Amino acid sequence: MSIINFIITNILTQAAITIALIAMLGLILQKKSIGQIIAGTFKTLLGFMVLSAGAGIIVGSLIYFGKIFTEGFHMQGIIPSIEAINGQAMNELGLGSPIAFTFLAIFVVNIIIARYTKWKYIFLTGQAILWMATMCTVFGYSAGFRGATLIIVGGVVGGIFAVAMPAFAQPLIRTITGSDDIALGHFCTIGYLFEAGVAKLVGNPEESTEDIELPKGFEFLQDTYLSVMVVMVPLYLITAFFAGPEFGGNLAGHTDYLVYAFLQAIQFVVGVYVLLAGVRLILAEIVPAFRGIAMKLVPNAIPALDCPVLFPYAPHAVIIGFVTTTIGTVIAMFVLPMFGLAMILPGMLTNFFAGGTAGIFGNATGGKRGAIIGGIAHGFFITLLPALLVTIFSHLGFANATATDVDTVAAALLYAWIITPLMSIF
Amino acid sequence: MKKKIKMLMVCGAGLGSSFACQMSVEDVLNKMGVEADLDHCDISSAVSMNPEVIITAMNFKTQFEQFTISDTTTILYLKNIVSKAEIEEKLTPLLKAKGVL
Repeated sequence: MSIINFIITNILTQAAITIALIAMLGLILQKKSIGQIIAGTFKTLLGFMVLSAGAGIIVGSLIYFGKIFTEGFHMQGIIPSIEAINGQAMNELGLGSPIAFTFLAIFVVNIIIARYTKWKYIFLTGQAILWMATMCTVFGYSAGFRGATLIIVGGVVGGIFAVAMPAFAQPLIRTITGSDDIALGHFCTIGYLFEAGVAKLVGNPEESTEDIELPKGFEFLQDTYLSVMVVMVPLYLITAFFAGPEFGGNLAGHTDYLVYAFLQAIQFVVGVYVLLAGVRLILAEIVPAFRGIAMKLVPNAIPALDCPVLFPYAPHAVIIGFVTTTIGTVIAMFVLPMFGLAMILPGMLTNFFAGGTAGIFGNATGGKRGAIIGGIAHGFFITLLPALLVTIFSHLGFANATATDVDTVAAALLYAWIITPLMSIF
Repeated sequence: MKKKIKMLMVCGAGLGSSFACQMSVEDVLNKMGVEADLDHCDISSAVSMNPEVIITAMNFKTQFEQFTISDTTTILYLKNIVSKAEIEEKLTPLLKAKGVL
């Protein structure tokens, strides 16, 4: 008995081990060789530790930024980052294992729904499932769920999202790609549909973004980490400047306060880079297993894939979407505090991926005009939703944090506004 | 034992779409009976890995044209990076040229 207790209390609470065991299960189900099973399991374990290290770097940089921002502008400025939420939930709240099990449960529910309904979408974007599992676990936990209930409710909510979002987006994906071979598996879909709707009202799909000549200088924006850096550096430098040399100098130690701010901005991107490298190591083992199993169990399955799969179909729309969404998030940053909401700074990773994809949607329904006006509206929209979560997050012990990716935010709001009140009745 | 050809699939963050592309390439290679060493990564790291083949999306073409790429690396640009038909069509001549097919 004591051995089982030891396993439950000391091993299964370690998220790194949980997720490695999930990967091992996938490898065994695929009937891989012993060597491959061992290698894959340890790679996943390594990936998870790398992910945690990356999260630590991001949080360190954000804590510094929070301090100088409060000093410089006398306001609470929040950088929304689902990666940071995930890191904090795993490292500080000890929710790593439930998140890992919820991640698995979402896969299972997704396969069940696809198998028995007419919606044949298999959601293959692993990191998006991980973010969804994070939000369902954190908000389920705050609603009072524990143990198996927490995981099952999270699996059902996440699994429904994993099928519903690709299904909602599919008519437009058909317009963009000209076929039903692929679907979109990315949890920012509510925002895409929002932009498509706005674009439809204001624009004309005949005047495509792809007919304009874009300046060559914009092309480097295709490089994710570079484009995040380009925005983070001025953001940190301007903030440090307003915080002043004395305050900034105290945090910087022997380094000049502006040089330190510059390096901290880069450090933020380093954290993102490391965290995503960890995610890459984990998914390399788990996603093929899931794909193999799903394709066997669900005839005619349509893979729902990550949003950059769409980028080659309208590269100009991607850049226009990224720029206009960023403009929209900057407007929202100043406007929302006037309505008593928190000041949400632009979350550049989301602006890049979600903004770029939303641009493609806007172009599909409303051409140039649609992509530009819809993009600004989209930026505003994806800032408004996380702003609604800030107070809930601070109750949960996440200081100065909120999430990105509007579908995961919608799932969180579902927990906060509907499931939690229902729970309190019973 | 022939040396395996090293292929790298690339996208902006090296996470989602490059991985989806890798799985499609794997299916195509399995069908052809070619063994290869496959991996995926982000565009910033891609050039330093020195693969024999880089497979990426059309929208990165302008970026890659600015990089210094070693002569041993061939780049394939795809419109639909998960389309097996397109991968097969563009990869076959290359594999024949490299003598693995």
